[in-house]
Amino acid sequence: MISTGMYGIDDMLGGGIPEGSKVLYSMEPGVDGQLFMISTLYEALAKGLSCLVILPHMTVDAFLHDAEKLRGSRMDTTGKTIVFFDAVDRERIQRYAKDRKTAAREWQGRVTKLCTENRIDIIFGYFDVMYEDFGLEQGIGLLSSIQGRNKPTIIIEHLNFEGEKTLKRFISEMAFDLVISIRASSRPLPHFHFFTVVHTSWSPQPKRSVPFIITGGRVVPYIPKIVVTGPPESGKSVFVAHASEHGLSVDRRGPSGETTTVAMDFGWLHRKDFDIMLYGTPGQPRFDPMIQVLLKHAMGVVLLIDATKGDQISRARHLIQVITELRVPIVIAANKKDLPGRMSEREIRDSLGITDDIPVFSISAQRGEDVLRVIESLVDFITQFSY
Amino acid sequence: MYLYKTGIPLIDDAAGGFEAGTNILLLAPSMSCAEQLAYALVKPLPGEYTIVLSTNERTAEVIDYFRFSGIDKHFIGVIDAISKSSTPGIADTPRLMFVTSPTDLTGIGIKFSSMIESIFDGTFSEGESGLFPPPIRFCVNSISTLLMYRRLEVLYQFLHVLIAKLKKIEGIGVYVLNSESFDDRTISLIKQLTNIVIEVKVEGNDNLFRLTGIRGINADWRKFTVTKGQVAFLP
Repeated sequence: MISTGMYGIDDMLGGGIPEGSKVLYSMEPGVDGQLFMISTLYEALAKGLSCLVILPHMTVDAFLHDAEKLRGSRMDTTGKTIVFFDAVDRERIQRYAKDRKTAAREWQGRVTKLCTENRIDIIFGYFDVMYEDFGLEQGIGLLSSIQGRNKPTIIIEHLNFEGEKTLKRFISEMAFDLVISIRASSRPLPHFHFFTVVHTSWSPQPKRSVPFIITGGRVVPYIPKIVVTGPPESGKSVFVAHASEHGLSVDRRGPSGETTTVAMDFGWLHRKDFDIMLYGTPGQPRFDPMIQVLLKHAMGVVLLIDATKGDQISRARHLIQVITELRVPIVIAANKKDLPGRMSEREIRDSLGITDDIPVFSISAQRGEDVLRVIESLVDFITQFSY
Repeated sequence: MYLYKTGIPLIDDAAGGFEAGTNILLLAPSMSCAEQLAYALVKPLPGEYTIVLSTNERTAEVIDYFRFSGIDKHFIGVIDAISKSSTPGIADTPRLMFVTSPTDLTGIGIKFSSMIESIFDGTFSEGESGLFPPPIRFCVNSISTLLMYRRLEVLYQFLHVLIAKLKKIEGIGVYVLNSESFDDRTISLIKQLTNIVIEVKVEGNDNLFRLTGIRGINADWRKFTVTKGQVAFLP
């Protein structure tokens, strides 16, 4: 497998991109998604793969400068095989080729020569100028002409003006193995960017959209809301506190003398290459309207129960019903695994009435590794969930 | 609705200025003063912002034009599609951004979105503040150069996207196109993207313009000059 250089995305793809695949990063006009291909290129070079970069729209110097600016570090080409076909090459061909057919032959000859002489593993192509010069079929054909044992992986970035129609052509006519569409919210301003894994040929991935942010020269998938809910005093605030790198809680001392959440807990963490925001709800039924608000637009839910308190089950069942109606991924975390009298997983499943596809974890909310295991599982569930 | 004053009494008196969301095609032959006219139309008034996509002139020349017209440079942004081909290491600033060539529509689109975002989030003018929501004037100088690098259909799609964004943020756009270099189909297609057309012609030493698309203004040819960003009509 070839890594995309974006590990969260690799996980979504089942480990990366199979060698020899054809990959499309489709860019909506105006959306800052150039770092997707740059990340994959940097990763390929770091792994020692030999790369051909086709840049018909710019010179090599400008490309290297832009890549450095985007990534925040110079492209390390020392001892690596990286060759280019740039705007100067294209211009030269355009100047001397009498017609499109001759130009295509020149292109193909040049690409083939570069690939065979340098035993290229991956071709990175900025495709929209090629699309304009040769059309979809011939343009892709120029990149796919290397056959046999050393057939390179093809990764292209394309400025897509035609939306779904073009994506469908890449998938059905050009047999692309992976299509990722990079887009922005259609508000007057791009409030957020997101990518959609539109198609994978090697696994039956559901179509999935995930917001992303660009930080420190990296594409970071972003889960804007995971809600941690459950009956009162089940350990939600402790869970959020131990999962988070930063956070806060709004608590008051309750009638039992223990503190109880009266507004919400909030936390942020970076896990499995995702930036994640956690929202912990209060547990008391009188806060139900607030729980509904907090659950709105959640991408996943952790339902926490105290496994030593059977009397919490009816409240937990009510919350599961609310969450099920929202059709979001849910995992159950049964807290206080280290205390006597705890229920078994089977007892929990039976009493909550949940099916086996909902994971149940026995945890101690005070143990960081336990809570992070739950979060990691939920992230996997979110990225694989069939809505 | 916000009205963009032009400083041209003919337009401002008849319509109060250009309505937000207006897109203007400026059709002019070579060696006319189309560029000055375009810049005069997008010159920002106090509180407004201007973004110029320049495929013909370097950033310094564009900025100089506005500076000589008495405009505060903090409200002018330039997307320069020329300088980077000779100076690949040139660095972007919030108001001055560079793409390698007019071929790079991906880069142009990203820089355009980025400038709009920085205007909205207040980082564009380094502490100077304009109106909010920000009135934004956008100029492409010129479509003719873009057409030398990209096919008409592609450019049409690209401009369509830019114009849709500009309409959403209630800006206005002025697009310069050489009237002598392209066939009727090209001009007609580009016209479809705009709602006002200003044509310029040169007769002897005189520049003349006529405007179609604003109710109450007839399409007569009028002699004009542009001095320090101010358009004046001659008898």
